[in-house]
Amino acid sequence: MDGWVVAMMLGASLFLGSLALGAFLWAIKNGQFDDEKKMMTHVHFDDEKDLNDLADQQKKREELKNKEYRPE
Amino acid sequence: MSKVKCNHCHLEFSDSVMIHDEEHRFCCKGCQGIFHLLKDEGLESFYSKMGDTTLEPPTEQFEASGNFDTPAFYERFVSMDEHGLLQVALVIEGIHCAACVWLNEKALHTMNGVIEAHINYTNNKARITWDGDVLKLSAIIDMIRAVGYNAFPYDATFQEVRANKERKEYYLRMAVATFGAMNMMWVAIAQYGGYFTGITQEIKTILNIAEWALATPVLFYSGWVFYRGAYYGLKNKTVTMDLLVVTGSSLAYLYSIYITVFEKGEAYFDSVAMIITFVLFGKFLEVLSRKNAADTLDVMSKNIPAEVSIVDGEGIREVNVNEVNVGDIIRIRSGERVAIDGEVISGEGSFDESNLTGESEPIFKRPNDIIISGTTSIDALLQYRATKDFAHSTLSHLVNLLENALSHKPNIEQLANRLSQHFSSIILFLAIATFWGWYFWPHSFDRSLMVGISVIIIACPCALALATPLATLVGLTLGAKRGILFKSAAQIETMAKATMLVLDKTGTITQGRPEVVYATIHGVFNRTYLYSLAKASRHPISRGICEYLERMNEIEDQILLEDVREIPARGILARIDGVMIVGGNELLMKERGIDIDHISDKSIFYYAVDGILVATYELRDIPKERASESISALKKFGLRVVMLTGDHEAAAKRVAQEVGIDEVYAHLNPEEKAQFIEVAHREGYAVVMAGDGVNDLLALARADIGIAMGSGSDIAIEVSDVVLMNDSLISLVEAFGISRRTYGLIKQNLGISLVYNTITIPLAMMGYVIPLIAAISMSFSSLLVVGNSMRSRWMYK
Repeated sequence: MDGWVVAMMLGASLFLGSLALGAFLWAIKNGQFDDEKKMMTHVHFDDEKDLNDLADQQKKREELKNKEYRPE
Repeated sequence: MSKVKCNHCHLEFSDSVMIHDEEHRFCCKGCQGIFHLLKDEGLESFYSKMGDTTLEPPTEQFEASGNFDTPAFYERFVSMDEHGLLQVALVIEGIHCAACVWLNEKALHTMNGVIEAHINYTNNKARITWDGDVLKLSAIIDMIRAVGYNAFPYDATFQEVRANKERKEYYLRMAVATFGAMNMMWVAIAQYGGYFTGITQEIKTILNIAEWALATPVLFYSGWVFYRGAYYGLKNKTVTMDLLVVTGSSLAYLYSIYITVFEKGEAYFDSVAMIITFVLFGKFLEVLSRKNAADTLDVMSKNIPAEVSIVDGEGIREVNVNEVNVGDIIRIRSGERVAIDGEVISGEGSFDESNLTGESEPIFKRPNDIIISGTTSIDALLQYRATKDFAHSTLSHLVNLLENALSHKPNIEQLANRLSQHFSSIILFLAIATFWGWYFWPHSFDRSLMVGISVIIIACPCALALATPLATLVGLTLGAKRGILFKSAAQIETMAKATMLVLDKTGTITQGRPEVVYATIHGVFNRTYLYSLAKASRHPISRGICEYLERMNEIEDQILLEDVREIPARGILARIDGVMIVGGNELLMKERGIDIDHISDKSIFYYAVDGILVATYELRDIPKERASESISALKKFGLRVVMLTGDHEAAAKRVAQEVGIDEVYAHLNPEEKAQFIEVAHREGYAVVMAGDGVNDLLALARADIGIAMGSGSDIAIEVSDVVLMNDSLISLVEAFGISRRTYGLIKQNLGISLVYNTITIPLAMMGYVIPLIAAISMSFSSLLVVGNSMRSRWMYK
């Protein structure tokens, strides 16, 4: 009985911890921390308009990617 | 008059000189243009974002951006990604604040074909992806210029990409190792608690399995660098620290698995994670402080003109430098940089040869004079015949030499590396001896193996691995506080071992520009006229006069002179209120028939009004503040101090005497300076070279340590290993002080860890080391080294 409790708690906490580690590793790989100055200051400029622009940009990219497969 | 802010750049000017545009005020057409452009594009929120920062007003002289669309250019800088989109890496000039980054990204995003524009605020480098069918690169560059910045492409070189990748890889490995080791600690606390107060085998096995799970990624993912290092070490037949780390941790890991599975004894998983994490941390510090040499050559190639204007029967055409043949006629205009050596055919004018000689005085050239590549035309408009092709010209020759020197930088072996080789061999030998000793004594195989492994674990090079990086980190911070930037940690040790210091004269020992040292006034005259006259020329002597007058508060505003004429290598003439005013050297005065009596070996500026001499100014490039004091301090370090200069003998001797340098070599060109250092190397000197100009580049690259002045040319700063931000010789002394102190600290730290080991290893060999002791000992030795480094930091504020 004792053993099960210990094992479960250990397992659960290590699992949760590894999730956080995984997220952190993803962020490093993704380049989220590459530009320390921008990371700290750019938050101020993230208003609604900027986010919309970003979404438009994303759309533009998708369109161009699709364009390539279009038979000409 | 009240000052008004320009609506774009936020610099303040008096209202009368501003351009009035409805309620807006602009300092120049450029600012006005950008302001309206941003408004039209809906980007005017830039101004609220930029806050209090001011911008530089835009410069309007750009080369035509059409150059960016040539196939040769595309081949060199533009790459294609998997979707057929084009990518280019740019360096953007003029970025001051986060709002600038925002503006550039936004402006590029508004363009039709741009898919992605990502600008790094820290290093101002941009990566732009765009659709080549819709947009040309020149349009992108034009857009960046239109919003008031400038961009030039750079080769995102293999080296730089690799350096960044390596750094990122270390971040990942560090994250995993720290996570593993930290979580291991609380599991281990339960283990140790159980060791003293009793624990059932069932719980112990559960804890062991949890530790096993944590130790595995740490050893095989984070510790992979050590496996790699050990492998390459063995391939080269050397015993490295990596080998010691790998054997110790792998054996402990395997042994602990055996313990876990067969449920007997104590597992050492925590030691495994701890060794890897500590040693990785030391390695990580090293990687962080390693010099990033990658950007150097980008700056170099930016300074080489890509095209020259060739004159042939059909007129003038732009030709790639590599296609120029010997005998072609090349045209040079003012402001252009010479790419190819040659001989003047027609035209005349002065050239700035400071790149080659370090002296800022312009050199006047007329037909039959030699033109050297790398120099810049100041006001010359002339045609010359190429006497060499591009590959054999002075400039590319220098670039080749420089690349060569940078890749063959002498490498003084570091103390820690040498020490760790011996250390590792000895420990591995002791461990094996201990195992056999115990096995034949006679003990069980398990027990003997355990004791053998414990020798390696306790001797764990944690402290040894941390000793050097920690000490150099202290050195780096101490230097940074005083405006001394060591670009790489390893250089501190090299600098401490230096035995010879080579100094450049102009700009390093001296101010680098002539200053008025003595003024003789012969008659009454209006200082403002003289000021305005001197302002008309960009010659260093005239600038020295202007500065002097400004300093003496003898002038009001500049006034407008008539018929201003500058005669190269003579002086300036002008007319005001019908009176002729003349300022210049002896030759000019003689030609104008003006009597002078004063003769001196310094540069002299004579000033005459209406044919009568009214003032004489003596100018000289004087040594920096406290120069002689610094030189004698440097000599006290036991350094052989030598001065090299491209200037002539007399000037060099005088400066040397003033600051107290005995060895002087004058009249050297850049290659000769480098050769001098080469010779010193052969004589067994470890050479530190301090310089500021492009003419010192080769020598800086060739020396063991190159020190550049912060105000020196960009390339000199790139090539050198240490930068003195405040240009003073006092910081040079401090740089030596800090490096020697740091080297002392490295020795202390290594000493501590070795003494520590000589005490603990016998304990391990006798078999007294249980996992808890191993862990405590490991942390304690590392703490000692950290503590000692901190102590040194506080003591030397």
